[in-house]
Amino acid sequence: MEFPISMVIVRRVKPLPYWIVPILALVVGLVISMMILYVMSGGQTTPYDVLLSIYYGFTNLGLLAKTFALLVIVGIGLLVSFKGAIWNIGGEGQFYMGVLLAAWVALFTGFAFNELIGKTTMILMALLAGAFWALLAALPRAYLNIDEVPVTLMMNYIAYYIIDYIIMARWRERQYGYYRTETIPETTKFQLIEGTTLSIELLLLMITIFVLVWLMFKYTSLGLRIRVLSSNPNLLRSSGISVHLTILMALTISGMIIGMAGAAYLGSVSHNLSYPIEEKTPGYGYAGILVAWLSMLELIGVPIAAYIIGALHTAGINIQIAGAGGAAVVNVFIGSILLTYAVLITISEYKIRIIVKKR
Amino acid sequence: MLEAIIGLIAGMSSVFLAYYLAALGHAIVEKSGVLNLAIDGVFVLSVAVAYAQAVYTRNNLLISILTAMIVAAIFGMLLAFFVTKFPISHGATGLSMMFLGYGLASLVGLPARNIQGSIEGLEVGYTIDVHSPVWVIVYIAIILIGLGALFLINKTKIGAAIRAAGEDPAAAEALGVNVLMVRLFAGALGFALIGLGGAIFELSYVQVWSEGTGIGHGWLAFAVSLSAGRNPILLILSSSVFAGLVKYMTAIQAMYNIPQDLAKMLPFVAAILAMVIFMATPLRRRLAPPKSLGKIYFREEKERSEKYKKNCFVLDSSFFSEVDLS
Amino acid sequence: MATQPESSNTFFSSPSKETPIIKLEGITKSFPGVKALDNINLEIYRGTVHALLGENGAGKSTLVKILYGIYTPDKGQIYIDGKPVRIASPMDAIKLGIVMVSQSPVIIDRLTVEENIVLGLEKFNMFAPTRRVRSKIIEVSKTVGVKIDTTTEVWKLSYTQKQLVEIVRGLLLGARVLLLDEAITYLPLEEKSRFYKFIRQFANEGGTVIIITHKIPEAMDVADYITVLRRGKVVGTVPVKNTSIEEIRKMMFGEKSSEITYERLPPGNPGEVLLQIEDLWVKGDFGDYAVRGTSLKVRKGEVVGIAGVAGNGQKELIQAVMRLRHVDKGKIIFENVDITHKTTHFLRLNGVGYIPDLPAKYGVSIENTILENIAIVPTFSSEIINWKRIRALALKMIKEYEVKTPGPETPVKFLSGGNIMKVLVARELTAATKMLVAYNPTRALDEATAIKVRKIIKSKVINENIAALIASEDLDEIFQLSDTIVVMNSGKIVGVFPAEKAKREEVEHLMVM
Ligand SMILES: Nc1ncnc2c1ncn2[C@@H]1O[C@H](COP(=O)(O)OP(=O)(O)OP(=O)(O)O)[C@@H](O)[C@H]1O
Ligand SMILES: [Mg+2]
Repeated sequence: MEFPISMVIVRRVKPLPYWIVPILALVVGLVISMMILYVMSGGQTTPYDVLLSIYYGFTNLGLLAKTFALLVIVGIGLLVSFKGAIWNIGGEGQFYMGVLLAAWVALFTGFAFNELIGKTTMILMALLAGAFWALLAALPRAYLNIDEVPVTLMMNYIAYYIIDYIIMARWRERQYGYYRTETIPETTKFQLIEGTTLSIELLLLMITIFVLVWLMFKYTSLGLRIRVLSSNPNLLRSSGISVHLTILMALTISGMIIGMAGAAYLGSVSHNLSYPIEEKTPGYGYAGILVAWLSMLELIGVPIAAYIIGALHTAGINIQIAGAGGAAVVNVFIGSILLTYAVLITISEYKIRIIVKKR
Repeated sequence: MLEAIIGLIAGMSSVFLAYYLAALGHAIVEKSGVLNLAIDGVFVLSVAVAYAQAVYTRNNLLISILTAMIVAAIFGMLLAFFVTKFPISHGATGLSMMFLGYGLASLVGLPARNIQGSIEGLEVGYTIDVHSPVWVIVYIAIILIGLGALFLINKTKIGAAIRAAGEDPAAAEALGVNVLMVRLFAGALGFALIGLGGAIFELSYVQVWSEGTGIGHGWLAFAVSLSAGRNPILLILSSSVFAGLVKYMTAIQAMYNIPQDLAKMLPFVAAILAMVIFMATPLRRRLAPPKSLGKIYFREEKERSEKYKKNCFVLDSSFFSEVDLS
Repeated sequence: MATQPESSNTFFSSPSKETPIIKLEGITKSFPGVKALDNINLEIYRGTVHALLGENGAGKSTLVKILYGIYTPDKGQIYIDGKPVRIASPMDAIKLGIVMVSQSPVIIDRLTVEENIVLGLEKFNMFAPTRRVRSKIIEVSKTVGVKIDTTTEVWKLSYTQKQLVEIVRGLLLGARVLLLDEAITYLPLEEKSRFYKFIRQFANEGGTVIIITHKIPEAMDVADYITVLRRGKVVGTVPVKNTSIEEIRKMMFGEKSSEITYERLPPGNPGEVLLQIEDLWVKGDFGDYAVRGTSLKVRKGEVVGIAGVAGNGQKELIQAVMRLRHVDKGKIIFENVDITHKTTHFLRLNGVGYIPDLPAKYGVSIENTILENIAIVPTFSSEIINWKRIRALALKMIKEYEVKTPGPETPVKFLSGGNIMKVLVARELTAATKMLVAYNPTRALDEATAIKVRKIIKSKVINENIAALIASEDLDEIFQLSDTIVVMNSGKIVGVFPAEKAKREEVEHLMVM
């Protein structure tokens, strides 16, 4: 006996235009999340509220800009390791290690006396910090073959708690008695572009990283090696290329890029670190994973995915402000829309048929 | 002295059980090749569902636990279905579900908490009394469950099918395994266990609820599971260590005068160390992760014949390509 | 067998009244850029062994994959026992009694033999303990003439044993038709003859076997009928009794068949020693010594051929030389430099080419394009890749080695088995400016190409004065190519002969001693 309903998925001869899926996913995901919110809030959150804030999220580019740029950087960083099938889930930790070291430069070293030197040192130290934090997970992965997913994930929490400890025990500001560090000096604050939340330095950083990573995958042996690492590491070995080293490079470069995002975040968005970090984080490290995955591991796809996720973030926060339900509304939103997106992305390359047998 | 130790052991039985079950569930899901990043969200959701149901049923534990298990199992089957039927990333699907789980948990829990606040003296949960033999039963149960799971995974046909789906789904299909069915089964069973863990965590350990209860504990179960190489018996060991660390955190902190924030790091550091230790020993080979864990598996399907289509209603996503959208 | 039609027309076996067990009518299958099968008509009869021959990329694998439900034809109809059928998946094929054993065993390494087998047996319910299948496996494996420990994990088995497991599994599933795609080409002699016996017996009991091979004598030995494919078309079907090697060759290669010869290639002119191995001890995969105190010299302008039955330490020796395996004791000296603790990278930069065993696993990355598979080797690109240069190289290789591909940007996975091998061989021969190290360098190549590759190797050795260390399980190859023949057995060198003085019987004897 055959099951009366079946689903058949076949590859399309020609893929759909790239913009159909995001739009479709948005529509379907929206309908789903509106239903969830409506039902579960007992009718308090109407579809109208939701639509309004979604519209707001997608169109308020000024507000969206910083989230977008940070997500692009983090997404690219993760993409580098994902291309080598090294699943770096530790973006959050690498990001915050970057924030931590950038804050250290800004607050406790003499570099802040000069704007250029201060900011450059912040970015460089953040880069090193992110690289170091990623390297800690890369070493056991490369030499002991320990799965990087749990290790990088655990390292996020370790990073949180180290930073919490440092804020409270060492760096806590004394003047007002808040659970946070001093604000970084004016010279180290990144310069906002008028009318937006984006800073010039962040924009430049994003563009530079994008171009460099593009060049890396297109023209360097390292880029090719990282890609072959995911498809057949045995070939690397018999070609005389160190698999260990390739793994180390993939993960460390990934951490480097994400660490820089941390410096940009401190310089242009937060300006200080407040306790407890795990509750204050905007979660770019995790959202970046979604960006990288939803880009289908294509560099060009990263900005598109970053735009969608950034907009949803902004939209969700807006509903929250409107007071319709707890902070968790953001999550329902992001969850259902991204889930639909993840599923629907297939139809750009595949046809899906649902077949119901007539009796 | 001995009594004190027994007291400690007895005292952590509920956390132990909760972690063990959730970690075991995670192990079963991942053995089938499905990368499970939804665990924390679903764990948090089960916590909320168990709590809400306990409030609504005036603390009917059986119903509360069952509901949590069913809800979790539905998530598990969805995850398994999506990543097996569609060529999509396990990570993106899992994380989306995690966010959905967090969100739904708040929506489920908040109204229930309002109700609990309005009813005088309504308490939920069941505390295991360290002086009664219940905790002994819990420990025996853990061992029996462990042996049962070991038998299921390593000695039966369905166990072989689950591992086959995790090692090489394409080859498994060629060998006669219905990968989709097997993963649905593993997803349902595994997530039901995760849901059970969440429910027990809430009802016999935390017993109150506020937004965010349980966040991070799903990841801990994840760490427990991986640090034991997803082996049901080693899991007993690793979950007892983690349960002890979590349960007696405050005491340890006070005893050794460790700052609170650094103490919180301990379970995570321990998880990484456990993995390093296992991988540096000959256990390595036995505990290696499934080869196709998290890999996109996609079985190219064939167009049905025209004749077949005539007998069917066909709902086709291909109209998108026919409609000229530009 | 008595009912088999006698045919006078060697290019066409006229069908008798008996319905063929398999009948293909107008089967056509295209892939992007190639027509792999073009209107194939073929009948295969019960109780016969039917060999499919043809050059690399002729469409042999595609044909059997269609029968096994891995591909569906674009056009055409398959009949089983005279009834039209649709084979959409391997499960459908198995239900019809068709079982395939392929070049790369489809079997799961980390499962035990019995687990692998029980998965397909419907009479065991999902919760049944796997051990229940044990007695059945043992019973069936006796008929094939092998002993299997059903509780070992498959990764511990040799390549051959894995294929035997697949066959046992097929029989347990009630196979009436066995499809063997280059499955037994590299069985050690002894096992091969045991296997032939089994095939014969299987056919005598009414089973049907379709076998793909590149060895014509092998096909003539074991098959009743031979069908030759060429560029996706059937050239003809002949009964083995009425044909000769030359005739088959002509059908396969046309004009080129005259170039096929197994004569010894012109000798090299050995000069100074380039590679020297001294008392080498190397461990195998399972921790015991696979190479036990081997010493060996390879000179410039010389081919040293290592003859031996698979699994006697050749693979480990080759890997140790390439610095892919840890050396426990002894020394390897290359160009007067002790390389015992140097890396593969060092050898690559010093002009060493390497053709590994199992090309798709160790030699190429099938997900990547031909270009990328070339660019990855340090010999061809430094930190920055010059794609223009790589492209030019690739086009030259494709032309020289007649690689059948739509272009250099094609992912390697879309090439046929032999063409994948050609990409690897072409790349490594280009990389070898001082020395070539190879294991079965012409495995999976058709006869004409194999001989051509040997000629290229030899001419490089003679003209460019490089050294070659080549291990092969194919004695024809060893004798045709080598200047010095070394016989390896149980990790030791048991004989060294100058090629002109080596006698085949003697070498064979030392190999199995
Ligand atoms: N999946 C595929 N996608 C694209 N092209 C393919 C695919 N499989 C086979 N081909 C092409 O079809 C042709 C026939 O391939 P096939 O594997 O049947 O050859 P073969 O006769 O088995 O050769 P060999 O002796 O080299 O194994 C080749 O040109 C090959 O490149
Ligand atoms: Mg082939």
